[in-house]
Amino acid sequence: MAVSFDRARLAPLKDAVAVVGVGETDYGKDYRGARGQAVSKGEARYDSYTLASRALKRALDDAGLKKDDIDGLCVGGTLSGERASEQWGLNPRWSGGGDAAQCIIEATLAINAGLCTTVALVYGNAQRSMDTAYGGARVTGGAITSYFYYAPWGMTSQGALYALFFQRHKLLYGTTDEQLGAVAVAFRKHACLNPNAVMQKPLTIQDYLNAPYIAEPLRLNDYCLINDGGVAIIVRRADLARNLKQRPVMVSGFGWSEENVDATQLRPRLKTFYHGAHHDVAAQVYPMAGVTPKDVDVFATYDSFSVHLLASLEGFGFCKEGEAGAFVQGGRIEIGGELPCNTSGGMLSESYMQSWNHQPELVRQLRGGLGNRQVQGAEVAQYVHDVAGKCKSLIYTRGA
Amino acid sequence: MATARPVRAMDPYAEQFWAFTLSRELRLQRCAACGKFRWPPGPTCDRCLSDDFAWSPLSGKAKVLSWTTFRRGYFPEYPPPHTVVALELAEGPLFISYPVDVEPSDLRDGMTLELRWIDATDKFGEYNLPVFGPPAARG
Repeated sequence: MAVSFDRARLAPLKDAVAVVGVGETDYGKDYRGARGQAVSKGEARYDSYTLASRALKRALDDAGLKKDDIDGLCVGGTLSGERASEQWGLNPRWSGGGDAAQCIIEATLAINAGLCTTVALVYGNAQRSMDTAYGGARVTGGAITSYFYYAPWGMTSQGALYALFFQRHKLLYGTTDEQLGAVAVAFRKHACLNPNAVMQKPLTIQDYLNAPYIAEPLRLNDYCLINDGGVAIIVRRADLARNLKQRPVMVSGFGWSEENVDATQLRPRLKTFYHGAHHDVAAQVYPMAGVTPKDVDVFATYDSFSVHLLASLEGFGFCKEGEAGAFVQGGRIEIGGELPCNTSGGMLSESYMQSWNHQPELVRQLRGGLGNRQVQGAEVAQYVHDVAGKCKSLIYTRGA
Repeated sequence: MATARPVRAMDPYAEQFWAFTLSRELRLQRCAACGKFRWPPGPTCDRCLSDDFAWSPLSGKAKVLSWTTFRRGYFPEYPPPHTVVALELAEGPLFISYPVDVEPSDLRDGMTLELRWIDATDKFGEYNLPVFGPPAARG
């Protein structure tokens, strides 16, 4: 594919927008509640808007802003923009939506175009209490054909597609189950340092290996959680972001590339592990932010499955292709290691907020003061989003 | 009575693909302008955007690229364990199917498998499902 992005046009957008507020729901408390008397699977007594509303209020409080300071709105895929705006009494001058990375990029563009100054990005998902299915005959997510097309052969679920991915990685590079297990073990260790995380029980590599396969070679702890929650992020034009309640965190770089040719056939998934999209995004995000992978202090990747981390590390140049299995060993991806990854516990162990929970964590790591979860001296944080080759990345830096 | 399978994703192009299976023919659309095979079926060639195509018969030869074994049940029609393979067809496209007459532990990267047919039915009616097995065991 021809290089079509324009570095000269992207350059002025570096640090033009800041994250000024973040908020989320009580993931762990709500999950434990859902298993007790409050709500169990399929017995919803609240909806996605309830959770989104709570998160929005917390993000506004965190920023020290009022509802009326908001002039733009982005909502996650489970919400309707109209209903959300109505619910919160907003008449936005601009609105967008999608995953968290997409919303941050879109909001940055809208703010820079002069359409608005302060955008609330809001997500809520009552997926556990609503008993949402990600595989089988009730599978949702019809936009991605490979999720349902092969049902006649018994093929279903994103997990099984990532099982094919990992099996291919094993065949090509000799990656082992023990190597992959280090991902789930590290993220769980991080979750145990995060009082808001759903999972609080330590996981050893032996626990990981003893847990049942779901779609072999992936085991239970390679899969993300299914829990209820909401997240909100407030972004604002940088010159208006100073002198608020929190130290601003700058949006310093972003990139976007999708690898959709032959996606249903699984060609980019199984032949190149989506590295085409990764390389294209890396070529945008690092030069725009003026950093290289070596400068990244905290890293987070979309982790509906542990395998995502291997793909991201190889695709963005943290290690060579085929070497991620070795790279994730020996505590390298843990807090205190060379490249702490998914320091909140990620979607495997903190909360499955479909890219949204990673953003508050990176913002807080750059603000500092996270106690024993803090990555010391964190100045540069990167998020990599890769859902079936729909790839984006963000680089955040600590503002003044 | 044909074996019930999880329901097919149906559209006017998929309908034609499955219609050929009634006579045990595995055919994919091949672009009449540039020759590219496509799968799943659809209206245009993704390489040249031509909508001119023919349903071209395939050799039925394929190589194993990857596989997974479901240890948890997702469809009542496929109780666990159920193994699915990702294949590279001799003509180029990748194809998802399931292996017959071969144990999952005997699957190997690049192993050659060949087309077999197995009966099937769903709410759209009866059809045959293309599955793949080792050439040696062919009856």
